[in-house]
Amino acid sequence: MGLIMQNKNSKYGEIQLVHRMTVIKRIIHWSFFAAIINNIITGFYIAYPFLIFGKTPTQADSLSTGVLNSGETYQAFIMTWMREFHFIGAVIIDVIFFVWLYLAFFSWKEPLYKSFIPFGDKLEEAWRMLKHYFTLKDRPKTGRYQDPLNAIIFTLFHLLILLQMLTGFQMYVASFTGTSAVGAWWPWLLHFSTDWTLVVFGGLTGVTLVHLFIMWLIIIFIAYHVYIEVWRSIMWKEGDILIPFGGYKYMRNKSESESDI
Amino acid sequence: MANDNRSNSNGNNSDPDFKWDPLRFISKKPDEVLKKVDDRLDVLEKEYFSDKKDKEENLPNILEIYGVSRRDFLKWTAFLTSALMLPYIFEPRVARAANILTRTPFIWLDMADCMGNTEGFLRTAHPTPAEIILNYVSVNYMESIMAPAGYQAETRRTETVKKYKGKYILVVEGAIPTGMDGKFLTIGAKGDTGLKITKETAKHAGVIIAVGNCAAYGGIPAANPNPTSAVGLSSVTNRSVINIPACPANPVNLVGTLVEYILIGKAPQLDSLGRPLWAYSGRLHDNCYRRGHFEAGEYVRQWGDDGAKKQYCLYMMGCKGPFTWNNCTTAEYNQDISFPMRAGHGCIGCSQPAFWDRMTPFEKPNADAKIIIPGIEATADEFGVGLFAAAGAGIAAHAIYTGVKKKKEHKKSKNEKNDDSGKNDDNKKE
Ligand code: SF4
Ligand code: SF4
Repeated sequence: MGLIMQNKNSKYGEIQLVHRMTVIKRIIHWSFFAAIINNIITGFYIAYPFLIFGKTPTQADSLSTGVLNSGETYQAFIMTWMREFHFIGAVIIDVIFFVWLYLAFFSWKEPLYKSFIPFGDKLEEAWRMLKHYFTLKDRPKTGRYQDPLNAIIFTLFHLLILLQMLTGFQMYVASFTGTSAVGAWWPWLLHFSTDWTLVVFGGLTGVTLVHLFIMWLIIIFIAYHVYIEVWRSIMWKEGDILIPFGGYKYMRNKSESESDI
Repeated sequence: MANDNRSNSNGNNSDPDFKWDPLRFISKKPDEVLKKVDDRLDVLEKEYFSDKKDKEENLPNILEIYGVSRRDFLKWTAFLTSALMLPYIFEPRVARAANILTRTPFIWLDMADCMGNTEGFLRTAHPTPAEIILNYVSVNYMESIMAPAGYQAETRRTETVKKYKGKYILVVEGAIPTGMDGKFLTIGAKGDTGLKITKETAKHAGVIIAVGNCAAYGGIPAANPNPTSAVGLSSVTNRSVINIPACPANPVNLVGTLVEYILIGKAPQLDSLGRPLWAYSGRLHDNCYRRGHFEAGEYVRQWGDDGAKKQYCLYMMGCKGPFTWNNCTTAEYNQDISFPMRAGHGCIGCSQPAFWDRMTPFEKPNADAKIIIPGIEATADEFGVGLFAAAGAGIAAHAIYTGVKKKKEHKKSKNEKNDDSGKNDDNKKE
């Protein structure tokens, strides 16, 4: 957090090292990443099983004939494994979502809600950031804290994840019969929190399609997110891309008007 | 999910506190339950049969016409008892209920539909006891088989309603058009609307059953764009309705529900879509004999391909088993010999609401279904890929724009530097 490095005579002004992501947040970031990538791949397989594998000896067009899973039906539980990993990824995502929710309000370092609830000058600041993306001028001060535009977009992303969780759980609880091994409260909770999706999206098939569509929105978010962080790193020269790795970025104390971008 | 307030308590001598939950346990006091059932059966037998001889010979006589032996009948009662998830001790009681059922007053209304359910029940080449019993219920009114016509037929219906208030079984087949005050469907000599007839008949029925997807949820007449505003039975009456959907419904499910009504005088436990749990609590996908191939990633990819010959899973051929709750794979159609997956075609989800809209395309996986938003008609993936491409183009455009702009400004600042050197180098020199 503090002033670690001074670079007085540099043309980039004073450079400070700023701590932005705690270890916990970095772990969350990368497990989220891994789980989402995992769920995109396995989810694709569940929607279109022919894309990747196919049980093999008799279906000659399979990519994996004789390599993977050749043998008896009982030896080739590809769909089972795909679903298993999809569920494991989903559990990780669910846990992370709730940790994120907790941190968003109670993090001692940087409670996100201060940025993502767009009131007052936050909205204004987000708008300025958006303008900056297109004019490259008047960069709003960011550095120690997340900028409001990103905070709003991340929040929308987490809402997508929430919708993905709810539609996913609806499909999951659909296979329950009666009660469950952990007790009746579990299916009850799932029904209670997700049955509305059946009404809103038109039955289980509709819920499935929404689940599939949200995946695309999440992929688009990933593309946006990577692009904008790379863009910032190049344009601002503050090493934004390093945040999720080392936890730090640089901050230049030069005022915007003097900035050379 | 069970929905208790739907359960029907309008039968004779029914007791609202009487717990009846065949899926888990029937009661903590089994003797009490059996006594209740027996008492009810005794009362009904006294009411519908003239004497002991009549009672004992009724069903054998009927079965004999069709060449069904007593042995076959007993096999069938065992089958139905287990299908109903009732213990073995109920077997003779199921047989008694089936006997009583043939004498219970009965009204069968046909609304907007293809009469597929009627056909399914009455025209089988080798009927099972289920179909025979349905054939022989004392049908007071059923347009397709009754002798009277015109005003006579109407009178028969209204009289049955009057005479057996609160006792007769009402089965409705077909959706009820509600557009233009129901005038899309008029029936009989007086030209009454289907809407009016169902409402009147449902008011005093002992038990109301909507058979087939159309009666239960509107089915095909209610498919988008639904020009007649057709709806399912439960939308036009405030009485509780037992839904026996499917296209056509399995006779076993109808007879089983009727038998259960005779046994206990109320509706079986229903799920959130109004279907008896004993028949509709299982997902086809979970009870399908091809499920192993699904898990193994072995799919039919083309009609008649190698996988089809080996009875691989029909998921890629559009099987909607994963979205459908019914007992087709266990109770089976066509005199209990087959069901779609066994015949080599996927399930089309005919026992779910709005299946004609939601389960299509029938022969493609659900992921290939079109999302229809005004102006756009594309699969979720086409839509997603389109958005992704647009986002990618946006990103690329922004990247190029940034590059160009930066270059320009670089030049400008260079020029400025030349014009007024020092101003921009302040920082450097500081
Ligand atoms: S054939 Fe249909 S119901 Fe059977 S396992 Fe495959 S997808 Fe499921
Ligand atoms: S298998 Fe599916 S489509 Fe066929 S009758 Fe059963 S629910 Fe209807």
